Amino acid sequence: MKKSFLILLGLAVVVGAVVYTGNNKDVENANTNVEAQSAPEALAEAETSTETSELAPISVGMSGGYKPYTFIDENNELTGFDVEVWKELGKRLGRDVQFETADFSGLFGLLDTNKITTISNQITVNEKRLEKYDFADPYVYYGAQLVVKGDNDSIIDLETLKGKKVGVSLGSNYEEMVKAFDVNNEIEVITYESYQASLQDVSLGRIDAVLNDKLAGVLAIKESGLNLKLGGEPVELMFNAFPFVKSEENTAFIQDVNAALKDMREDGTLEAISTKWFEINITEK
Amino acid sequence: MSGFDIKYFIDVLPAIIKALPITISVGLISMILGLVIGTGITLLRRIENTVLTGFIELYVSFFRGTPLMVQLFIFFFGMPQVFPQLAVLNAYQASVIVLSINASAYISEVIRSAISAVDKGQLEAALSVGMSDLKAMERIVLPQALKVAIPPLGNTFISLIQGTAITFMLGLQDIMGLSKMKAAASYRFLETFLAVGIIYWVLTLVVTRMNKHLEWKFSKGGAI
Repeated sequence: MKKSFLILLGLAVVVGAVVYTGNNKDVENANTNVEAQSAPEALAEAETSTETSELAPISVGMSGGYKPYTFIDENNELTGFDVEVWKELGKRLGRDVQFETADFSGLFGLLDTNKITTISNQITVNEKRLEKYDFADPYVYYGAQLVVKGDNDSIIDLETLKGKKVGVSLGSNYEEMVKAFDVNNEIEVITYESYQASLQDVSLGRIDAVLNDKLAGVLAIKESGLNLKLGGEPVELMFNAFPFVKSEENTAFIQDVNAALKDMREDGTLEAISTKWFEINITEK
Repeated sequence: MSGFDIKYFIDVLPAIIKALPITISVGLISMILGLVIGTGITLLRRIENTVLTGFIELYVSFFRGTPLMVQLFIFFFGMPQVFPQLAVLNAYQASVIVLSINASAYISEVIRSAISAVDKGQLEAALSVGMSDLKAMERIVLPQALKVAIPPLGNTFISLIQGTAITFMLGLQDIMGLSKMKAAASYRFLETFLAVGIIYWVLTLVVTRMNKHLEWKFSKGGAI
């Protein structure tokens, strides 16, 4: 009977686990309630305890692989522009901020299933996204930029990209930007999970260009030491903001975030964070 | 930038190893649950009931017939749209559940074939001395089947451990997820992914070793 006992035990464990988690209706709490995940030092899950508050922490999703916006440094600490903006926002809102890292392709899924409060990963506001999400006020303004191999002078804009291969990040706004321009399907779009991997492929000649934001491009060219350069002028002016699932609760919360952002903009904190990571202030038009 | 940075490689190895408890625990718990569910399924298959058998066959067919990544996405992001209660599961729990179910489908096939590898006369002899079907399975057939099943079960475990490499999609901070972030921050792809590859390889070697040991132990005619 040993075997059947084991089977029963196993089923009991599974059912127990489902019931336990199923009872836990408070979605926001569930994220902090991770025994197993937090036990073996969840590394990149940096937690900032700015002020102790009774409210559940704000759970901010990011890829952790988009330097210098969100990345892990030599000490395995999650850091970057987006991380610092949210640490400051948390302080001003009097709430703890908890960062959740996941592959970019999973971030919107996490948002839709309420596992995170918002995404802070340089999410560009566009019409499609506005249909589904409510956004806070923009915190970053930028131009989309092509990055090409060092010896490539032929690609300077989307027009000269026709007949060529361009890399974009999976699920990013750039894919839509290229597709909106390229009505006759003359540009081959290759999607990448990682921005850095796409730059690597440009330098290896596997693809002709990468479309991403200008600042990340400038920095990546400098830092990576890869044989790359900017291809022409910025393609389009855009702005980034934090998306939230549409709900009454979030509508109120977005107003709080906007007020805190406005404060940070007015007292120069936002600019200070920006110039720490970039040569210019990316938080102004 | 070009060339292999041995110093970075040596630094990144221990950094990735810090996430190893996640990878190992997800793999191990899923394997144990997969064994339990898989054995249960195999035993249920013996019951002559067309509806039950049909359901089990569909289950096994679906979970062997679709990529793990699809199952993870459906379970973690898709299902909560229909069953909002499922949204409370975190990445760790969801990964364990999906990997367990996925493994159970493979394991049930392994155990089924192992049982059929045991001479039919063994079961008949057990029944003829008055054992019930379940008792005959437990005392006579399964111990012999286990001996046959151990090598392929080791294979399943290895695939399972490597299957955990895609769970960063859900946000699980496993060794692969950490490696992706490390590589993106340093632009050191070769060093980082070679390091994580070696960690998976060593894990596989350990599992192979344990499996060999189990094989040897059961080859001496040991029982459960």
